[in-house]
Amino acid sequence: MNPLFKPSLHTQRHNFVIDFIRKTNPKKVADLGCGECSLLQKLRFHRQIELLVGVDLNVAKLKKRTHRLAPLSTDYLQPPSNQLCLQLYQGSVTQKDDRVRGFDLITCIELIEHLPINDLDQFSKVVFGYMAPQTVIISTPNSEFNPLFPGMLGFRHTDHKFEWTRMEFQSWSQNVCLVFGYMAEFTGVGKAPPGQEDHIGFCTQIGVFHKLETTNRDGQIHGDNAEVNFPYKLIYCVTYPSLCDNNILRKMLISELLYWAANLTKEWQEKWEAEHEDNTPVENDAEGGCKYREISWTKAQELECHPLHRHVSVPLDLLWNCCPKLNEMSGSLTNLIQLITHDPKIKMNSLHSAVVVCIQEQGDEDPNDLMDSWYAEPCHVEEKNWETDG
Amino acid sequence: MASRARGRARGRARGLEPSAPGAQPREPAPQVAVVVGRGRQQTGQVTRSEEDKAVSEISAGFQHVQIGVRGGRRRDVFDAGINTRQTIEHVKSSKCGTSGLTINLSANYFRVLSRPKWVLYQYHVDFKPPMESIRLRSALLYQHEALGPVRCFDGGMLFLPIKLHNKVTELCSRTNHGEDVQIIVTLTNELPPTSPVCIQFYNIIFKRILRVLSFQQIGRHHYNPKDPLNIPQHRLTVWPGYTSAILQYESSIMLCTDVSHKVLRSETVLDFMGNLRQKCGPRSFTDTCSRELIGLVVLTKYNNKTYRIDDIAWDQTPCNTFKRGEAEVSFKNYYKNQYGLDIADNNQVLLVSHVKKAAPGLTPLGPALLIPELCYLTGLTDKMRTDYTIMKDLSMHTKLTPEQRSGRLLGFSTAINKNETVQAELENWGLKFDKQLLNLSGRVLPPETIFQGPRSYSYNPRTADWAKEMRGLPVMGSPPLENWLLLYTRQNNREAESLLEALYKVSGPLKITLQRPIIIEYEDHQESLLRTLQKNVRNETQMVVVILSSSRKDKYDSVKKYLCVECPTPSQCALARTLSRPQALMTIATKIVLQMACKIGGELWCVEIPLKQLMVVGIDCYHDSASGKRSIGALVASLNQSLSRWYSKVKLQTRGQEIMSELKMAFVGALKDYYKFNQCFPSRIILYRDGVGDGQLDSVVKFEVPQIIQSIKSMGENYMPKLSVIVVKKHVSCRLFEHSQGTLINPPPGTVVDNEVTRPEWYDFYIVSQAVRFGSVSPTHYNVVYDTSGLKPDHMQRLTYKLCHLYYNWQGIIAVPAPCQYAHKLAYLVGENLHKEPHMDLDNLLFYL
Repeated sequence: MNPLFKPSLHTQRHNFVIDFIRKTNPKKVADLGCGECSLLQKLRFHRQIELLVGVDLNVAKLKKRTHRLAPLSTDYLQPPSNQLCLQLYQGSVTQKDDRVRGFDLITCIELIEHLPINDLDQFSKVVFGYMAPQTVIISTPNSEFNPLFPGMLGFRHTDHKFEWTRMEFQSWSQNVCLVFGYMAEFTGVGKAPPGQEDHIGFCTQIGVFHKLETTNRDGQIHGDNAEVNFPYKLIYCVTYPSLCDNNILRKMLISELLYWAANLTKEWQEKWEAEHEDNTPVENDAEGGCKYREISWTKAQELECHPLHRHVSVPLDLLWNCCPKLNEMSGSLTNLIQLITHDPKIKMNSLHSAVVVCIQEQGDEDPNDLMDSWYAEPCHVEEKNWETDG
Repeated sequence: MASRARGRARGRARGLEPSAPGAQPREPAPQVAVVVGRGRQQTGQVTRSEEDKAVSEISAGFQHVQIGVRGGRRRDVFDAGINTRQTIEHVKSSKCGTSGLTINLSANYFRVLSRPKWVLYQYHVDFKPPMESIRLRSALLYQHEALGPVRCFDGGMLFLPIKLHNKVTELCSRTNHGEDVQIIVTLTNELPPTSPVCIQFYNIIFKRILRVLSFQQIGRHHYNPKDPLNIPQHRLTVWPGYTSAILQYESSIMLCTDVSHKVLRSETVLDFMGNLRQKCGPRSFTDTCSRELIGLVVLTKYNNKTYRIDDIAWDQTPCNTFKRGEAEVSFKNYYKNQYGLDIADNNQVLLVSHVKKAAPGLTPLGPALLIPELCYLTGLTDKMRTDYTIMKDLSMHTKLTPEQRSGRLLGFSTAINKNETVQAELENWGLKFDKQLLNLSGRVLPPETIFQGPRSYSYNPRTADWAKEMRGLPVMGSPPLENWLLLYTRQNNREAESLLEALYKVSGPLKITLQRPIIIEYEDHQESLLRTLQKNVRNETQMVVVILSSSRKDKYDSVKKYLCVECPTPSQCALARTLSRPQALMTIATKIVLQMACKIGGELWCVEIPLKQLMVVGIDCYHDSASGKRSIGALVASLNQSLSRWYSKVKLQTRGQEIMSELKMAFVGALKDYYKFNQCFPSRIILYRDGVGDGQLDSVVKFEVPQIIQSIKSMGENYMPKLSVIVVKKHVSCRLFEHSQGTLINPPPGTVVDNEVTRPEWYDFYIVSQAVRFGSVSPTHYNVVYDTSGLKPDHMQRLTYKLCHLYYNWQGIIAVPAPCQYAHKLAYLVGENLHKEPHMDLDNLLFYL
C-alpha cells in the first residue's frame, strides 16, 4: 500500500485550519511553531483575520521566507476594507508573552511532539492558562498509524520527542481541559485505508479545544497582570494596505471622485459643445438633462491655474449618486467631505459642495513666430578628407 | 512603435508557474544537475590575468558549467560574451575618438567593489539518491553548518565565500520520511571577480537585495508598490521602480540602474471588459476585446506572478472545473477555499495564458486559465498609447529632469547602503556598492554646418534645430510641382482655401515651384474618397494632397493603400483640424510643402561628408500585430554623395524566414540603383541596423553580417567594398548628466562617450544627438560589430553624428542616423496602414514621410 496522501498530509492539515477559520471567523489568530510560515502564508488571504501572529524558536527559519508574507503587489491596487497586521516573533511556547493573549484562535500544528515531555506542562500553562484563546487547535502524529509506513522504525521525524496513540493524546487533552476550563473535540486528517479507519484512526490526530464561556479565569490563575511580559522578540511586522488606513482611504476616495468627475465632465462637455455649435440651445431632454443639469462652467478664481484653462464644477451630490463605491468606502457624505477637503490633489469650490475640474484644451505649443528669422554667419571650416583612414 | 513591440516581448510571463490552476502538474526536474550552457559565455572573458589562468586549471572539466539549473534556457538580455571587438584590427588598442571639447559627466552607474584578492568558490552539489524538488534539495543542504552561514544555492550550483577544507565534502541528511541522503559537495571553480559566472552571481545577489528592500519584480524590473502615483481620470496607477543590471563595463564591474515606471490599471480585467462592451456594443465586442487584451500582461490578486494573455476562452466560466489532485474543483470554489476570494460574476469568460519556457527536458505546461475578476492589467493598451491626453498625463508623472532622476538614483543607492540586512548580506560576500554616481568624461562634437544650396548656416547647439534658420532660404533642389491634385470635402472648403494660399506663400522663398492644383471635392466617406482617387489620379499626376475631416484610420489607410500599392503616386494627407488654426497655419504649411517636396524627390539640405563613393544603409523592423504577427523589415540606402536621395524598400517576412534573408534582395536592389545614379558601385558601405532586441545581437553577428557580405559578393567577384555594420539601440538604460553650476542638466547634442560605460568586448560608443525639452535625454548606443573600413573611431563617431542631421521630416538633429529613421517610418507605414509591399516605382522617393 501507498501511505502517501493526496493532497499531501501537510496540505490537508492546513486546509483543516482554513476550513475552521472560514466557519468561525476569528479576528486574532496565532500560529505557534510556525517554522517557515507556510500556514501564515495561506491564512493571510482570509481577510476576516485582522491580526495574524507567528511564533517560532528558530529565527533563521522565520526569516527565511518573510518576503513571502509581504502584501502582494495587487493588494495596493484595490485595498480591501478589512485591516490585517502580520507579526512574527522569535520565542518559546513555554514562555508567557502578553502580546499573544486574548486571541480568538491559536494553532499548534505538529508542534507538541517536538517539545521535551517535561515541557508539556509548561506549554499547557502558557497556551491554555495564560494566552487563553477562545480556541486552540493542536495536531500531532497518531502513532497507531505508523505501522502503515513500510519499513519505518522509530518516529516519523528525527526531532520528535514522542508520538502518541489516540488514547494518549486524548487523555492528555482531557486533563488540560479540566485544569484550564476547555472542552475538546477530536478529529484528524489522513484517512486510514478503508476498513481500518476505526482501529487505526487518522494519520494526524487533531484536537480542537473550545474555551468554556463560564470560566473567565484568565488573569486570576497567575495574577500577574501588573507586570508586563514581553520576552518574545519581534522579527517582522507588516500592516497590509486597507481602507482602515486613512491615508489610503483618502487616496482611494480622491481617485474615485476624480475619475467620475472627469468622466461626467467629458460627457457633459461633449453635449454642451454639440448644443452650442448648432446655435440651437436644446432644452434638456429627459435622459441626459437631469444627470448633467448641475454641472456648470465656473470661474474659480482662487485656483492657481493657467488663465486660459476653463473650469467645470461638478457637484458632490451628483458624484455621490453616480458612484456607489464612495458610499461603501466613506459611509456618509459628511465623512467624505471631511476626509478630502484639504487634500491638495483635489480642487473644490469654496462651499465644498462641488469638485472643480480643469479642462486643458488639446493643442500644440505656441507656434514659432514666422517673421522672426535670423541667419547665423557661415562659420565653416573645411573638413579634412577621411579617406586616408586605414 | 518598434518600442511597443519590444515592450511586449519583455512582458512575457517569466519562469514556471506551478501554482496556476488549469496548468498541468510540473514534470520532475532534470536529474542531471550540470547544464551545458551557452558555450559562448567562455569567449566573453576579456582580460585574464596570470592568476586567473592558474585558477582556471582547477575548473578543468567544468568549463561550461553555468548558473541556471532552475530556469533552463534563459535568454541573455545583456548580449554578454559576444566579442566583436577582437575581430576588428584597428580598434584593438583603442576605440576612442578625439574630436570635440571635453565635458564632465555623471552616469547612472555605481561601481561594484570587492575586497582585494576576492575569490568566489563555486561548488557542484550532488544528491544520492537524486532529489527531484529543488526546495527539498536546498532544505537538505541548508541543515549543514559545515558550509558556513553564507551561501547561495540554486539547486545544482553552490557558491560560498569560503573554501571548504577538502575538494570533495560528503554530508549526510535525513528527510522527513526518514530517508538517508548523501550530499557530495565538490569544488569546481575559484572565480575571480571578473569571471562571467561571477557577474551572474552578482545579479542573483542583487535580486535578493531588491527583495529585502520590498521591491516587486514585474518582468525584468523591480517596482515599489507602496508609494504609487495615481492618475485617477484614466484609472491608472504608476509604480516607481528601477531597472538594474550588473555587468563588466569598460574598466570595472558596475551596477547600471535607471528609474523605471510601471503603469497598471487600477481596475480589474473584468471591469475593463465591462467598459469595453459598453463602448463598442455586443456585436464587435469579442473582436475588440481580443484585439485589445491579447498580448497584455496581467497581475493576479493571489500571487505576485505575471501572466501574458494569449487567448480568451469564450466557452469557459468560473464554474468550470479543473483537476486538482484526484478531484475536480471549480475555479470559483478553488479561489474561495484557497484564497478567500469570492468571485461575484459567474458568467465571465476566462483568460488563457500559455505558460512557456519550460526547461529543456520538461514537458511544457498546459495553458493556465485566469479569472478576469482576479486580474489587473499592467502596461498600456495600444489604444491608450495613441490617446494624446493619457500620454500627456502620464508623461507629467514619469518624465523626470536630470536633477530629479539622479536624485532618485542616489536615493536608491542610499537605501542599499543604509539597510542593515542588505549591508550584512553584502558584507558576508565581501562586496560593496559605490555610493556616488559614476563620474566620467565625454566629448562634445562641434556643431555641423548645414548647406542649403549655395547658402550655409549653423544652428544653436543647445536646441539642435534649424527651423528658423532655413526659412526664406531656397532648398537644395526640388522638381517643380506642376500636376497635382487637392482633395477636400465640402465642410472643409475653408481649410482647403487657406492651405492653398499658405502653400503658395511659403513655397516662394523656399524656391519650390508650385503650380495651381486640380481642386476636387469628395464626399466624406471612404468609398467615395477612393472612387474620387481612382477617377482623377493619372500617370502624370505628381502628387495628391488630401484634406481629411477626421483622424479616422480607414480613410487614411485607403488613400495610402491605393496610392502606395496600386497606383504609385506620392500623397500628402492633412487633417482639417490642424489647418483650422490661423496662428499655426504658416508653420504647418511650411512643414507640408517641405514634405511634399521630399516626396517627389526634392532635396532640402546636406552636411559635408568627407568620404567618397559612400553608401549609407539603415535597417529597421516593425512587428505587425494585425497580420498574424509577422515582422516587416525596411531598408533605406543612400544613392548620392550628398546623402540627399534614398532608395527605400520594405519586405514582409514570410513564415519561418529570417527578416534579413528577405532584405538581402532589397540590399542588392539598393546597390544596383546606386550604380544607376553614380555609374559605379560604392567603395564603402556603412550599414546601421536598428530594431535589434535585447539578446539578439548574437544572431546579427552570426547570421545577418554573413548574409550582407554574401549579397555584396553576388555583385561580382572583384567587387570588395569596405563594410561597416553598426547596431543602433535607442532604448538603453544608460543616462548621462552634465554638471553645470552645481546642478545636473542634459548633456548638449553632440556629446560622445566611448569610455567607462561602454563594454570592453565591443567597439561601441554612445552619442547624445537630439535635444529634449522635457525630461532626461537618452543617449543612443552604437555598436560596430563588423568593420573593414579602417575608419578611425573618431571619424566613425563623427559620421554617425552627421547622419543624425539628415532626416528631412525634422529640421533638427534626431536621435538616430537618418536612414534608420527613414526605415522606421517606412516599416511603420507598411505595418500600420498598408500591410503590403509598396509599388517599386516609389523606391527612389521618400514617399512615406
